[in-house]
Amino acid sequence: MAWIFLIIAGLCEMLGVTFMNWALQRRTWPLWLAMVVGYGLSFGFLDLALQTLPMGTAYAIWTGIGAAGGVLTGMLFFGESRNWRKLIWVGVILIAVMGLKLIS
Amino acid sequence: MLKHWSRIVYGAIFEVGWVVGFKHAATLWEWGLTALAVYLSFYFLIKAGEVLPAGTAYAVFVGLGTLGTTVTGILAFGEPVSPAKVALIFLLLIGIGGLQVVTAREEH
Repeated sequence: MAWIFLIIAGLCEMLGVTFMNWALQRRTWPLWLAMVVGYGLSFGFLDLALQTLPMGTAYAIWTGIGAAGGVLTGMLFFGESRNWRKLIWVGVILIAVMGLKLIS
Repeated sequence: MLKHWSRIVYGAIFEVGWVVGFKHAATLWEWGLTALAVYLSFYFLIKAGEVLPAGTAYAVFVGLGTLGTTVTGILAFGEPVSPAKVALIFLLLIGIGGLQVVTAREEH
């Protein structure tokens, strides 16, 4: 269950990162608010996951999913280039996440 | 320039602070400190991000945060450590770093 919370937290973190980058460009209050909501949900689910999982593992996976997810949403929704190099690094992150799950 | 990267370090320190708080805070006082740490970690990251390249700043911030939480968890809270765990966390950070490098490169 903790792992599911962690993944959801990572996806919300992805939303937070996306809105943060957007807000740093546009600087409108709705974008900052969306960032806050995204991070708020992300923290809530991370808190739940941390009740069970070790800190370093949970934190690293949480940010990894956030970063990888941010790149994927950028490619899918913000017209960012579908660079194969980016996908390889996303793959590296996902392999590391799966590995950490396996050894836990 | 150093001032800006220092902010990343301060932010990462508070990041470790709130992760510890989430896992271990029990009293209202401890939760209050945790909330303060969340605010300060964001404050320093955003301040640094106004000047530094956002992707790089974030990657370094997250790298330091991961290092800090992992070490703190192992040394202060007796969390399990294994070579595989350390290697995989390191691999994950490399993945995040590589992603930032590729993303930054194509913006130029």
